[in-house]
Formats: sequence, structure tokens, C-alpha cells
Amino acid sequence: MRALKIAGLAMNGLRRSPLRVTLTTLGVTFACGALVTMVALAIGIQRQVETPFRALAMLNNIQVRPKEGKDADKAPPLDDAALANIEKLPGVAAAYPDVHIKGIKVRYEKKEAIAIGIALPREASLLGVADEFIVAGRLFDEGNRPEAILGLSVVKELGFKTPAEAVGKQIALEAAGLTPDGGDKFTYQQTTMALTVIGVYEAPALLPGAARQGILLPVELMKDIPGIHLDSALSRLKSGGPIVTSGYASATVRVRDPAMLHEVQVKLTAMGFSTEAMLNKLQHMRQFFLAIQMLLSVVGSVALIIAALGIVNTLLMAVMERYQEIGLCKAIGASDGDLFILFLTEAGIIGCLGGLTGLGLGWLVSQLMELVAGFYARGQGITGRLNLFAFPLWMVAVTVAFAILVSIVAGIYPALRAARVDPIRALRSH
Amino acid sequence: MESSDCFIETRGLSRQYRVGPAEIHALVEVDFHVQKGEFVAILGVSGSGKSTLLHLLGGLDTPDCGCVRVGDRDLAGMTSMERTIYRRTVVGFIFQSYYLVGSLTATENVALALTFQGVFGAERTRLAAESIERVGLGLRASHRPNQLSGGEQQRVAIARAIVHRPALLLADEPTGNLDRATAAEVMGLIHQVHRDLGTTVVMVTHDEEMAARVADRVLRIRDGRLEGAGGSA
Repeated sequence: MRALKIAGLAMNGLRRSPLRVTLTTLGVTFACGALVTMVALAIGIQRQVETPFRALAMLNNIQVRPKEGKDADKAPPLDDAALANIEKLPGVAAAYPDVHIKGIKVRYEKKEAIAIGIALPREASLLGVADEFIVAGRLFDEGNRPEAILGLSVVKELGFKTPAEAVGKQIALEAAGLTPDGGDKFTYQQTTMALTVIGVYEAPALLPGAARQGILLPVELMKDIPGIHLDSALSRLKSGGPIVTSGYASATVRVRDPAMLHEVQVKLTAMGFSTEAMLNKLQHMRQFFLAIQMLLSVVGSVALIIAALGIVNTLLMAVMERYQEIGLCKAIGASDGDLFILFLTEAGIIGCLGGLTGLGLGWLVSQLMELVAGFYARGQGITGRLNLFAFPLWMVAVTVAFAILVSIVAGIYPALRAARVDPIRALRSH
Repeated sequence: MESSDCFIETRGLSRQYRVGPAEIHALVEVDFHVQKGEFVAILGVSGSGKSTLLHLLGGLDTPDCGCVRVGDRDLAGMTSMERTIYRRTVVGFIFQSYYLVGSLTATENVALALTFQGVFGAERTRLAAESIERVGLGLRASHRPNQLSGGEQQRVAIARAIVHRPALLLADEPTGNLDRATAAEVMGLIHQVHRDLGTTVVMVTHDEEMAARVADRVLRIRDGRLEGAGGSA
């Protein structure tokens, strides 16, 4: 209680030199603002990059590829039979090929768009994923109806005014490509499909533009598109192995529980495939972003340390200016500890005010940068909010706490000077 | 003199300072005592050692040798924290230059002393207001030092010194900065506090006439040596 009341005197001390205290606090404000802006940017970008992982529940996924290198010719093909066997493994929920093909023509009435065909398993809707990307309609459900989900850019190119307008419409898909024909021969094939648009998606703003130019097809429909086995066949041909007509370049294996990732990975390796868990990829990315965050934090912290020197200066001047007053306080019963607490509190108040206003400044700057970046992005054809900055609650708390801590540490030396003032000397000084 | 009423007693009290190569003997083997409730004035010119004696009695300084007892406390043997508590609870200081905090009102200046004494809330406000009333500044309670005359500022300083009812009031040239008429008023106030509260007062001054008028006993200090300090008046 006593310490609290003495700390209360600190506000009175600070009011004595409003301009100097304001300038010192501004130093902390700018330092914290810079720190917050930089860290918020790093966290924001990390979240943007991680969004597809979370939204598509990719953390349960293992990416499987046929083995490459010197033993590639003996490696088993990653074909439908292999995928069927993989699905039978304990803990595996689904196994489906990762297929995307460029140059697919999509027509609606007289309008035409060139899109990228991307396979999406029907189970995606059961997993409750990707809802945040669907801006109209829905994901695939059970059955084998000829359906498609269009990217927002494709919808615009096809002349629909709103995403909702496209839902339910019949579109035509035209695709052409080379299909391996056994041996070292390839056959040119063309196919046309009539599809019903059941949904429209909008890719996260930071993903490449091509992600918005997609047409999502159920896996079983995608298998009918010519050219989906081309990459795998060419790869086998280059490594000297026989061409497998139904092989895929890569597939996704979804496990029921992330705890089973390792066990399933071991089994897939034993089956002769290369594997990489998405969780590992994410962890590598997180390590990278952590390093970026740390780097930016260090830069921001240097600014804060420079601001802390301002606090040292301000408080040392206060000790000098209030030298007689300190002597008087000691004469009327203040202990060394009381004066130490008093000046340390003054430092803490400067840090707290600077931390809070710095947060506000950082938020303002980030909003401004978001506006500018959004304006630039719209010029590049990217719509939607970029969300480049993120202000998680922990960051807000840590920033203010860090500002207070640094300020208190900066206040230790002046506070010690105040505590050590000789009252007789102080009272005799003029 | 050894008496049950003896409140302050010093024996062989010495204090010296080193200023550069020179050694200054501020106090030389001072033996004196003060009765409980007595008003003692110590006269001396500047540099005679009177303020040093006051600082030793107030626990702001420690002697090089000798002992100083106030009540049942041996000040020379106290730790720094014990001396702080002693100043907080037993002593009230009045200084020549008042030493008021410019940013605080008269009442807040008085209450400042209570903060360090651990008195808070309504009790703190009541005691500070009561002390301000006692020195006749009830109407100036919310004024800041720069809105008060020298005499009024010294009254605030007196209110601050007595707000916790100290057993010992130490006044260091309390009228040194005041004109004759105001000095007489302030001296009268100190005398009134001494009389009303029964506080033991030790005051150093070089105003012989004023000292003779209010003090029970007047001592002289010269070159660090106290003259005629044997018994009470």
C-alpha cells in the first residue's frame, strides 16, 4: 500500500516537465510503433501463407510422389491401384491424385475463359474445410454428378455480374492433351464436358494470380481430362523406366489424426514412395517466419533501446532538478527504497504510455500501408482485403509489457542515483 | 545531568569533514542535553557547526565519535533504515529555505510527509487539513508555494513538520529568509506549537534577540564547541 501511494507521487513528478516527458514518451511511441508494425506484418503474412493449410485442413496431409533418381525405374507407379492400396492402410482417410492442368477452355454462352483445372476430392465438404473461400454456392458433395467450382476471375471473364449469378449455370469445358499410350508413344486427345457450376471460390489475396483462374473438378471427373498422366510418364521416360499409362506425378494422402502422420509415412515409404508431410512443410515455414519475426523484433528493439536512453536522460535530469526535493523527502522520512520506487515508477509510466500510444501508432501505420497495398493490388487485378498485418492479443500485451520492462530497466540507474542522494548535501545545495 | 526528563543527550560528539586537503572540525566533543518539552536555541555564526549539530540530532548524519541519544534511541548505532524510521516518526524539520514542492498545494505539501509515514486516505487528508489550520493557513490550503508569501511558505513548512506530532522539532534558521515582522510571527508560531503540543524544540539561529524571547535556554556554539551547555535553564 505504501509503495503504491509513493508510486502515485510519480505522476506528480512527471507533470513537472511536461514537454520533456512528452518528447521522451514520443521516442518510446515511435519505437514501439515501428516494432509493432514490423512484427504485425510478419505475423500477418505468416497467417496469409498458412491460411490454405488451415482452411484446407492440409495438416493431416502427406504428399506422396513416385521415387526419383537411380532406382526410379524399379519404383512402383503412383497409379489408381496404388492409391486404392494406400486408402486401405490403417489411419488413412483418403488418397487422391494431385492434378492440375493448364489451358482448359471454359465456355458459357458466347463467352470463353482459359482456366487451370484442379482436382478437389468430394470429401473436402465433409471435412468442413475451405468454407472461407467459397463466396457463392457450395463445395462438392457425395455422388458423381458433373459439377465444377469456378474461380472468381473465371466467373468474371464468363460475364457473370456476381458470383451467385454463376451458380446453377451450365458451362462447357474443353481440354486437349497428350496421353501416354504404352511404350514410348503418346496420343493427342480432346474432350468436352458439360458441367453445372455449383460454387464460386475466391483464393486468398496473397496466393499467385493463377489460383484465382481455376476450375475445381471432382477427382473422378478430372481423371477423364487428357494429359493428367503426362508429367508422370515423362518423368519415368527420362529416368529410363517403362511408361506407366495411369501414373500420377503426385498424390495426397489424408490421415485421420495428425498423430498418425509418422506411422503412415513409414508405411508409404516401405511401399516405395517418396513422402512429405504438409505439417513438416508448415513447420519449416514457421521456422522461417519465426526467424523473420525475431529479426524484425531485434530491429524494433534497437529503436526501443535508443528510446530508453532518452528515458535515462530525462530521469537523470529530473534527479538533478529535484535534488533538493529528494533531500527534503529523505529528511521527512522517505527511505532510499521509496525514492528508488518513485523514479522507477516514473520510468514505468513513460514506458506504459509510450507502449500504448506506440500500439495505436503501429495500428494506424499498418492500416495506411494496408490501404496503399490494397490500392496497388487492385491495380494488379487482386481483389479483396489483403490482411497483411495481424495484431494478436498476445502481441499487444507483449509490446506494452516489453516497453514497460525496457523503460524500468532504463530507470534503474537514475532511480539508484536518487536513492543515494545525501540529504545534507542536497539540502545545502542551491 | 542525568534525569528521567532528559530527552536529548550527547557525549563527546564530534564530526569532521574533509574538503580537499583541509580537515574541518565541524563539531568538537560536544556534550549537552535537552529536557523533554524544552525549547533550546543555539546561537552561532555561519560555519560554527550549529547546522551539523542539528543534522546529527535529526539522524541525517552520523558522528565520527561520541554518542547522541534521543529518548531511548542511540542514534550513532542505528542503521540507515533505522535512522529513516526515526526521522519519519520522531523528528520534524523546519528549514530556512522552506523546501516546499512547487507543484503541490499547501495541503499536498503537508500531506507529502504523511505519505512517507504510511498515513493514507481520509486520515491523511484530515491530518493535513488540521495541521494547515493550526498554522493559520486554512484559507490558503489550496494555494501553491509561488502564490504564498515567504512567511506563509514557512508556515506551510511548520505545518508539514508537525503534521505527525513529532516529539522533537528541529528548526534550522527558520526566520533567516524573512523580514523582521514576519520573522517574529513565525517565531511566535513555533513557540505556540511548542507550548500547545509540548514538543521539544531545538532551534539554531543567529538572531540573539529572537532566541532570547522564545527559548527556555540559549546556548552558543563557536568553532564546533558548545559553550555553557551543562544544565537546563
